[in-house]
Amino acid sequence: MIWIETMVNGVLYGGLYGLLGVGLALIVGVMRVVNLSHGEFIVLSAFVGVSLAHVMPGVHPLILLAPVAVIAFALGFGLQAVLVNRVVTRPDPFASILLTFGVAVVMRNLMVEIFGADPRNLPAGRLAHASTTIAGLSVGVLPILILIMSVALFTLLQLVIMRTRFGRIVRATADNRDVVRLMGVNPGRVYNVVMGLALALASVAGMLLAIRSSFTPYSGVERLLISFEVVVLGGLGTFWGAMVGGIALGVAELVGLKFDPNAGPLYAHLLFLVVVLMRPNGLFGARP
Amino acid sequence: MTKVSRLVLALAGVAAAAGPWWLGDGPMRFLSELFLMLAMAQTWNLLAGYAGLVSMGQQVFVGLGAYSPFVTSIALNLAPFWVLPVAPLVCAAVAAVVALFLFRLREAYFAIGTWVFSEVVSLTISKIERLGGERGMGLPTAKLIDPRWLEPLTFWLSTATAAGAIVGTYALLRSRVGLGLMTVRDNDLAAASIGVDVWRCRFVAFVLAAAGCGLAGAVSFAATLYAAPSLAFDPNWVVVMMFVVLIGGIGTLEGPIVGVIIYFTLRELVTVVFNLSAGWYLVGLGLAAIGVMLFEPAGVWPLLRKRLGGDWLSVRRQPPATQPIGGTAGDSAAG
Repeated sequence: MIWIETMVNGVLYGGLYGLLGVGLALIVGVMRVVNLSHGEFIVLSAFVGVSLAHVMPGVHPLILLAPVAVIAFALGFGLQAVLVNRVVTRPDPFASILLTFGVAVVMRNLMVEIFGADPRNLPAGRLAHASTTIAGLSVGVLPILILIMSVALFTLLQLVIMRTRFGRIVRATADNRDVVRLMGVNPGRVYNVVMGLALALASVAGMLLAIRSSFTPYSGVERLLISFEVVVLGGLGTFWGAMVGGIALGVAELVGLKFDPNAGPLYAHLLFLVVVLMRPNGLFGARP
Repeated sequence: MTKVSRLVLALAGVAAAAGPWWLGDGPMRFLSELFLMLAMAQTWNLLAGYAGLVSMGQQVFVGLGAYSPFVTSIALNLAPFWVLPVAPLVCAAVAAVVALFLFRLREAYFAIGTWVFSEVVSLTISKIERLGGERGMGLPTAKLIDPRWLEPLTFWLSTATAAGAIVGTYALLRSRVGLGLMTVRDNDLAAASIGVDVWRCRFVAFVLAAAGCGLAGAVSFAATLYAAPSLAFDPNWVVVMMFVVLIGGIGTLEGPIVGVIIYFTLRELVTVVFNLSAGWYLVGLGLAAIGVMLFEPAGVWPLLRKRLGGDWLSVRRQPPATQPIGGTAGDSAAG
């Protein structure tokens, strides 16, 4: 029974991992930019959440998700408009990697100077420990809420990208940024919105993760690694693949921790290596 | 290599050999650190700038390079400096094995695959109690070294490692494998079609880069007499390598030299001259990276070379001089 419980918790936890990575998958898919500051934005949104909770005591952190997501959208829009759009058309992949790497290093160390290096977390009151019994299994309420929220956001993203006029423009821009210009689309503006969306999604995941476990300004590197693993496992640029990848990593991590308590994310990493070596293009990527 | 660069190198060699007699302890320690960073950056440059392999997991070789002489030195009860050659051998062997697997991955996948591999090794070592687990291990055999010689030895070894990395990369790039590497980097399909063994060229570069990185890591940690997984396998190693190479100028041998000078100047300026915390120099580092990418994406060295002229450490081959026919031709070849 304990194993099934662990598996279920892994699935719930993994939904969160998927949410961490889906923003990165979106950016890679649409503009082929690898954003090395993704982890720092996840951590920054958690700090913004903690600060907001401090300013407005009594407001539940789940309600604070909305303002944090809006702030993250604005930051992403700004990052893309001011910096990344200047290098996105360059043929060498290093330009955007080094640029966002610079942004990451600046953000990480400014966060250390501003917020200090002590571990923090986002208090969620009773909700953080509440649990319920489903079919004889004891499951936390918060993890269930997190999974529901992840699935809802994934579905929403899928609908926006596949069914709306905006989504069509995004897909067209991803296919060929020069041809869409002929149709009167400014690729730079599309990129701004996409980066904003990606970071808004990541900020929600960052807040939820901050409720579950503590973070420091240095946590960005771990968050980035998880996001990367999710994106690669799912296959670059696929959304549901990212979700499945996240769940696989979550289950591997929690099951691993169950029989080897000080392993950390070792088993998630091992699973990642095994899958990627067997299927170099990820679970849902095209076969090589 | 021009006559001037040869002369400069020879003079630098003499100055370095005599270093312990004219440099104080502080500057010597500083230069040791600088040279080791330069060596590591040069190996990353070989991978990313010439072999087209962007690895974000080179810290695994720094870490293995740190641990392998520790273990050997304690097991054989020998002074750590005698067993340093173990480090490049272990790293080359590990690189040769993992290359078989990791080379199946391309570009971003390869970068992340190497990073994850490094995390796996680091987490595994921190679970092994005999290696000190997460706390790390000291070096009891350090008592076999006369403490007066520790600093000078570290300095000579660091200098030799950096010089070896530069000369070794230069020699490799001038060789058949090096030519192959550059064609592979520029267009791997075209390279394969003219008969270049793409896989083999990359394999040689990856193994040699791992060996160099391991040696630099070994010297660095043998000098501090202490290794822990969080220090030895710190992703910041590869972050600094990346920074140094990309700021200085990727795909040139001079780039990492310029980059490492910029890196350490920035660090000393912020922490010593302005007396700010280490965090601020990292902020400056990030801003420098952003600035370079926005305004001079090829890095600082190409800009400098335009000013200075000359060929320096260029690996370019000079075409054979054309024989003037009747004393008029030949001009067309220049230009």
